[in-house]
Amino acid sequence: MRIIVPIKQILDPGGMTVNRRAERIFINREEYIINPNDKNALEEALTLKDRQGAEVVAVTLGPERADDALREALAMGADSAFLLTDVAFDKADSSVATTVLGKAIQKIGNYDLIIAGCQAADTGAGQLGPRLAEYLGLPQITEVRQVLAVGDGKVRATRRQGKGYAEIEASLPALLTIARDANQPRYPPGARIINAYREWAVTVWGASDLGLEAAELQPLTQEKRISFPPEREFGVKITGAPEEAARELVQHLKAHRVI
Amino acid sequence: MDFTFPKEYQLLRRMVREFAQNEAAPIAREIDEQKEVPRALIDKAAQLGLLGVPFPQKYGGMGAGETGYCIVMEELNKVCGSLAVIIGGHIGIGATAIYLDGSEELKEKYLKPLARGELIGAFALTEPGAGSDAGAIRTRAERDRDDYILNGSKIFITNGKLSDVVSLLAVTDPSLGVRGGVTAFVVEKAFPGFSTGTEEDKMGIRGSDTTELILENCRVPKENVIGEVGLGFVTFMKTLDLGRLSLGAACLGAAQLALEASVKWAKMRHLFGKPIAHKQSIQFMIADMATEIEALRSLVYRTAWLVDTGQPFSREAAMCKLYGSEVLHRCVDRAVQIHGGMGYMRDYFIELMYRDARITEIFEGTSEIQRYVIASDIFRQEGVRILP
Amino acid sequence: MDFALDEELRMFQKMFRDFAQNEIAPLAEMLDREERPPLETLKLAAEQGFLGAPFLEKYGGSEIGTIGYCMMLEEIGKVCMSTAMIIEVHTSIAAMCLYLDGTEEQKQTYLKPLAQGEKIGSFALTEPGAGSDAASVQTTAVRDGDEYILNGNKIWIINGSIAGTFIVFAKTDPEKGARGITAFIVEKDTPGFTVGRNEKMMGLRGVPVTTLFFNDCRVPAANILGGQEKLNQGFVTAMKALDYGRLSVGAICLGVAQGALEAGVQFACEREQFGGPIALKQAIQNFIADAATEIEALRYLVYHTAWMVDQGQKYTREAAMVKLFGAEVAGRVVNNMLQTHGGYGYTKDYPIERMYRDVRASRIFEGTSEIQRFVIAADILGEKGLKIRP
Repeated sequence: MRIIVPIKQILDPGGMTVNRRAERIFINREEYIINPNDKNALEEALTLKDRQGAEVVAVTLGPERADDALREALAMGADSAFLLTDVAFDKADSSVATTVLGKAIQKIGNYDLIIAGCQAADTGAGQLGPRLAEYLGLPQITEVRQVLAVGDGKVRATRRQGKGYAEIEASLPALLTIARDANQPRYPPGARIINAYREWAVTVWGASDLGLEAAELQPLTQEKRISFPPEREFGVKITGAPEEAARELVQHLKAHRVI
Repeated sequence: MDFTFPKEYQLLRRMVREFAQNEAAPIAREIDEQKEVPRALIDKAAQLGLLGVPFPQKYGGMGAGETGYCIVMEELNKVCGSLAVIIGGHIGIGATAIYLDGSEELKEKYLKPLARGELIGAFALTEPGAGSDAGAIRTRAERDRDDYILNGSKIFITNGKLSDVVSLLAVTDPSLGVRGGVTAFVVEKAFPGFSTGTEEDKMGIRGSDTTELILENCRVPKENVIGEVGLGFVTFMKTLDLGRLSLGAACLGAAQLALEASVKWAKMRHLFGKPIAHKQSIQFMIADMATEIEALRSLVYRTAWLVDTGQPFSREAAMCKLYGSEVLHRCVDRAVQIHGGMGYMRDYFIELMYRDARITEIFEGTSEIQRYVIASDIFRQEGVRILP
Repeated sequence: MDFALDEELRMFQKMFRDFAQNEIAPLAEMLDREERPPLETLKLAAEQGFLGAPFLEKYGGSEIGTIGYCMMLEEIGKVCMSTAMIIEVHTSIAAMCLYLDGTEEQKQTYLKPLAQGEKIGSFALTEPGAGSDAASVQTTAVRDGDEYILNGNKIWIINGSIAGTFIVFAKTDPEKGARGITAFIVEKDTPGFTVGRNEKMMGLRGVPVTTLFFNDCRVPAANILGGQEKLNQGFVTAMKALDYGRLSVGAICLGVAQGALEAGVQFACEREQFGGPIALKQAIQNFIADAATEIEALRYLVYHTAWMVDQGQKYTREAAMVKLFGAEVAGRVVNNMLQTHGGYGYTKDYPIERMYRDVRASRIFEGTSEIQRFVIAADILGEKGLKIRP
């Protein structure tokens, strides 16, 4: 069984400070991570691999630095990795990303499942999975909480529906998108981290490798402006053990002369 | 010159940080109170390769070298002193002794399972009358056909109770002393005649056991000699050199947390209508911590680089241990001071850090011994030989 | 990750060491005794390209990079802190202002002769009421046609009596504090500009430190450092140059500490008490071990920061750490090595006596240790969104 997992590399939000007054985002530490929801998808694929054996292929569209996301996927347990990078992909919107990833997936071929995240934490568009299923003409199950069984040319999975859950079956090959926090992604074992960088390779494909012409890479949408949401009065969040939190709370109350 | 960490080390650091933060940090206080690190946590660490970081993959290790090991120790000790000490005793000295001088057979038999975390290791040098003065050991190993028969006792042994396998130093020829008369053995806890004695009750690192080991006519096959008969002292000294470096790295991690916690607290805690971060007394403590930590970081990773590139590093490793433990001491002390009353309270982690930190100036060679090692290396170059 | 010195750096290091040992060390005691600057040495250093070490060749520099330059200061600092300080202020601060923010024309006219050592540079910021608090500068510069008229006094100006080119900071917009300060290039012998006598100091007696007087001193408007567009932006230039200066002072402190340690080790091996060299005493061994440890930590802190500069990274915090740690380590090491020398250390027969007086300055000039601590804390807390004031 071959499972293809498209992943996206995003800027780590933990390294940013947001200054509302200046309407600016300061990047203290420029670090990139795998989109957390895509890690859920990867974990689901790796769980299937552990359970019934599978070849897991990670693929990403991005600049050269996205190589790091693929190395991490290899370290977590992926068997091979493809980086789709080209200056022609730089302005990709959801439709272009779908074309590029779709072509690459067709070129990799022989897949039984495509498992993707639901949403990227940076753009939040949530379009890629459904678009990709349409592009490839596959049945899809979105926002999957758990994959129950794969076999006999079918996949069965649960998804949240209303206040309950629905169990859905689709014929293979199929595309699943995994709900956020559906699982706890594994830590990459140390030896695999070392090997991911020192021993294993990432295949790099550009536009010509995928037989893509400039005309097919014209974005349908353009980002014109980004702005801050209206300011909300927000308080201080107190976390930690109850006793510690209580002490902290009292301190805040004292500081603000409430008590 | 290039001071950038290679990417595999950056990812390794992130993995260990997340592991430590998610798995160890929430139970650090419990570990201190229960005087035990849950076996499940050690097993999880083992699955990630954290019990064999510096060893080559062919011996079941992670293959991350000394630099990788320093990163792991730094990140672990930031969160849980007891877990770091267990792994330090296991890898840094226990398994390292076998890795450095053990035969291929010994490595196959013991290093592999140790590196995978299937067995836990320990390192037994100290005796009631011999600690930093390793030459004064009394534990005796007498040859009996294909075996050695060991008698004596070892005290203050990290992982004494937890371990399955112990790298242990014993006298094989009392007439030769440390030069030729002392031999290193791998002794399984299961060997008849090998037992554990008193477990110490300690100020800090309470989740790591410090236990007496007793040898009563314990029969050890001659294949379990590490390296050559009579050269055990050399093996142990080389092992301790590496241990010192990784302890310096561990100190770096804890000192860094003391700083981060202090910054956070200074920003949050208000006095006289403003965060205490606005007071110069607080700012200067923070600046001194950050400066010393930065200097220590350079020292530690430069020494790790010396090890990984096969250069001499004894003097530098002693410097890492000496400077690391003293910087840590100053940093946790300032952290307690900045936190004020909160720093003294047992339900806040600063108090635990303060107790855990104090051992670093003592074990694996006191600060005084490190100073001797450094000075003797310097004076040797000038042709003056000094004795401890 | 690679901590090795490449072939070129090793070659530089040997060259600096030879130069320092052969040309500078023999004069150090005399400079201190006679309280005069090493003009002969500066000429020789200029011929070697040591007075423009970090700058690009097209500006008369030697392009040896910041790591190489730090090694140079380290080697010179090891034998004579006075000589090192003169070169440091000349290069890292005065010439660096021109290098960082000067116009192309100013670089050709003023930086080149400095980098080639035809002239010595000086940097005039401190005043009776403004030192570490640079924003309180009182010297004024008032526009008059194509000129500015400067009035005010600058004190404790290193290289004052030997410099040909001065970078002088004056208020051009008195309303605006730090954002109203402009840097001017002022040549020696400009009418209205006079240099006072050399200060008498505890140490660093080879360094000419003077007061500068500006009485209706007319400077062409073209001499605003960086041209008209840098009007009122002198403070930024000064801070950037001082960052580089702090790193450089740290490198000098590294050299001083290393020099003191070597002197201490040698003395401890030679000096006999109670039937053997004092090196056999643990008290002495502890001094030596602590000194060597802190020096080793300082060394890679210096090189790491120098590397950051060459990589184009931000290094303000690290530069302050290098200055703070360097000055504190050098102070402790020299003190303990003097103690190792015992009574001999207090006499002028051994260089450690001079080093002790010299090194005391390092915790004060170019921003006291207290100011460095503030800079470091402000950077750390700033990253967490808290702005602190000195």
